[in-house]
Amino acid sequence: MTDISAYAARADAWLQSVAGEFGTAARRGLSEAEDLALGRRYLKARFDAGYAGINWSTEFGGQGLTHIEKVAFETEEMKYGMPNSYFGISLGMPVPIMMKFCEDKVFVSERVIKALQGEEIWCQLFSEPAAGSDLAGLRLRAEQDGNGWKLNGQKLWTSYAHHSDYGVIVARTDPNAQKHKGLTYFWVDMRAAGVEARPIKLAGGDAHVNEVFFDDVRIDDSNRLSPVGGGFAVAMATLMIERYVATDSAGFGPHLDLFVSLAKETKINGKPAIEDGRIRSAIARNYAMRNGLNAITARAMISMKAGMEPGPEGSLNKLVSVRSRQKLSEMAIDLQGTDALHYDEHASTKDNWQTSWITAPTGRIAGGADEMLLNTIAEKILGLPQDHRPDKGVAFNQIPA
Amino acid sequence: MSLLYDEGQLAIAVESRKVLEARVQMDQLLPLLERQGDYHAPYWATAKEQGWTALALPEAYGGLDLSLVELGLIALQTGRTLAGAPFLTSSYGAARAILDYGPDGLKDEWLPKFASGEAVGAIAFAENQDVVPAKSAVSFSKGVLNGLKPAVSAGLEADAVIVLAEDAGTPVLVVASLDGAERQGFPTFDNSRCTANLGFRDTPAVALASGQTALDAALHILALQSVVTAHEQTGGAEVLMERARDYANSRRAFGQPIGAFQSVKHRIAELYGLVELARAGALHAASREGHGDFLKAAAAARIQSTEAYDTAARDCVQIHGGIGVTWEAGLHLHMRRARTLAVEQGNMLFWEDVLVDELTGEAA
Repeated sequence: MTDISAYAARADAWLQSVAGEFGTAARRGLSEAEDLALGRRYLKARFDAGYAGINWSTEFGGQGLTHIEKVAFETEEMKYGMPNSYFGISLGMPVPIMMKFCEDKVFVSERVIKALQGEEIWCQLFSEPAAGSDLAGLRLRAEQDGNGWKLNGQKLWTSYAHHSDYGVIVARTDPNAQKHKGLTYFWVDMRAAGVEARPIKLAGGDAHVNEVFFDDVRIDDSNRLSPVGGGFAVAMATLMIERYVATDSAGFGPHLDLFVSLAKETKINGKPAIEDGRIRSAIARNYAMRNGLNAITARAMISMKAGMEPGPEGSLNKLVSVRSRQKLSEMAIDLQGTDALHYDEHASTKDNWQTSWITAPTGRIAGGADEMLLNTIAEKILGLPQDHRPDKGVAFNQIPA
Repeated sequence: MSLLYDEGQLAIAVESRKVLEARVQMDQLLPLLERQGDYHAPYWATAKEQGWTALALPEAYGGLDLSLVELGLIALQTGRTLAGAPFLTSSYGAARAILDYGPDGLKDEWLPKFASGEAVGAIAFAENQDVVPAKSAVSFSKGVLNGLKPAVSAGLEADAVIVLAEDAGTPVLVVASLDGAERQGFPTFDNSRCTANLGFRDTPAVALASGQTALDAALHILALQSVVTAHEQTGGAEVLMERARDYANSRRAFGQPIGAFQSVKHRIAELYGLVELARAGALHAASREGHGDFLKAAAAARIQSTEAYDTAARDCVQIHGGIGVTWEAGLHLHMRRARTLAVEQGNMLFWEDVLVDELTGEAA
């Protein structure tokens, strides 16, 4: 057994030992508040067990290991349905950015420990009503106010803002500059006067994203994490931190063996669905595709262990897997006939086809829409030209509306 | 076996690509389409000279003792340049049938010849729509074969053929020299595959396996060949994706390169995805030879690479517009090869069933 598989085995043993207390079964039927409270206890337990901040430096309370151990742990953790989603963004992007760019190291150290223990949550205030895929089109204003700044405007799709203690935010400090050059990056106290997070109910019935309003919110210049006008580069750095994350060729939906089981249990024209050519073809094609994704992921892990940068083909995972999950979920609903019409709003996307289906569009839009991922592949990997861009080289406030 | 190529393997990839690109040109391949019974001799001469025929066979029989991974790398380059003969895959399949199921005398007789390329092998399992027929129209009795095997790839040139026949109702896998057999070529849409109907009339043959073992052996040989072919298909899809990209970068319309239009660039980005999934699946399958999940991995690789090559052929022509459908542009060579490779060694329908049977735990 290699070091890394030994590490994964140890992690899995620990996860198994606490799965009864925190895992899928323990969470069934809990209210959001109860589930969040359970999540905080899980994070504390995870911290105490030495599986928090796995690839973060020990000086900040991390474990000082590499992203290989981190991905290995996350891959094991994913199997148990632990209540960790509230902390995913927090620990994934804002907190690492604070460690890297915030100069007040004492303040940061306190925040990191509390975030790792689940006591505090950070959100990432990027998207706006007019700035989704086109992030640099954001409009929330930060104006100089004495020796600090005053924030006014609206953010959108901010995950867990309503539970957050702090956030990182990109704001427009110079509307006369070109769109990418007039942005600045700050951190904010989400409990400050003038900040209001309003949850938005999504298609599946859950409300983990928010619209967040900033009304004359005053922050110090020490909250600034980038040079004035240099916010876009830090925003890009934020997104790069999450390069090494556990992937799931099932697109974070149900695994293919659940579809195979369903096809064995259901019938088409009186015969088991598993004998029907259309169903067999769907199973075979999905297996072949996911097998390819798994091999890409396995190869990336081997590359990393060998100290090499994994290939760009890892970027295919989200694009290909979530799309296929969406279609397979539709087919699974078809397979159930009218039984499929039963719906449990609180069921898990990992084992319920209806929930997987209704939440799948979010997966194809959040964190890089399919179209943006295809653009990135075309432009960055294949060297195809950028789209026609009428906003290029134009001052932000002169871009045609 | 690792999913990461080592230095030696990367060298094989680089060298084979260099030599094939230097020696195989499209204008040599196009005329082959209009001739029946001809193949691209410089390609096959290169394969022998470079030792590719010996690559994955044991040292004891003149081989180089490397694996499916290395042979796959050669096949991938072969697919890129549209090599004009099917013998690398067909001889490998025939050699493995003898190596894995044959008596020592037979190994001594044939394997060194396959390793040197002096002899060409072929596989004759399929009968029309039946890929691995449990009941065969070819009978084997008292050491001789009688009957007809239709549309055998490499059949016009092969020296030895592995035949799935039946002996008084029992499936039997045999090897026969094609010296006295009748070979009948016919026009195909990819003539350099040397496809022929093989007619046996009291043709001497030696049994390799019988009963269920014969059917299992046939499926195993097809799986081995399919992994080689999956690499070849990946290579074809890869080069088409590159041609589509290059064309989209240079061809201008409406005042900009057509690659700036998302309908075009996204199509090419999707091809990139299919190529990488096919590549990963093919390498994974090659690395699983000898393991319990090999058949599953081979079937998955075969399905993914067939989809990749067909889609790349379709889309690359579409992106080229009018020029793409001309004889001279040669993209139809890939269309033809994509469909030929999709049918040789079992079509998509066959492999989908094999895979689902494996996944549901049924006997294939």
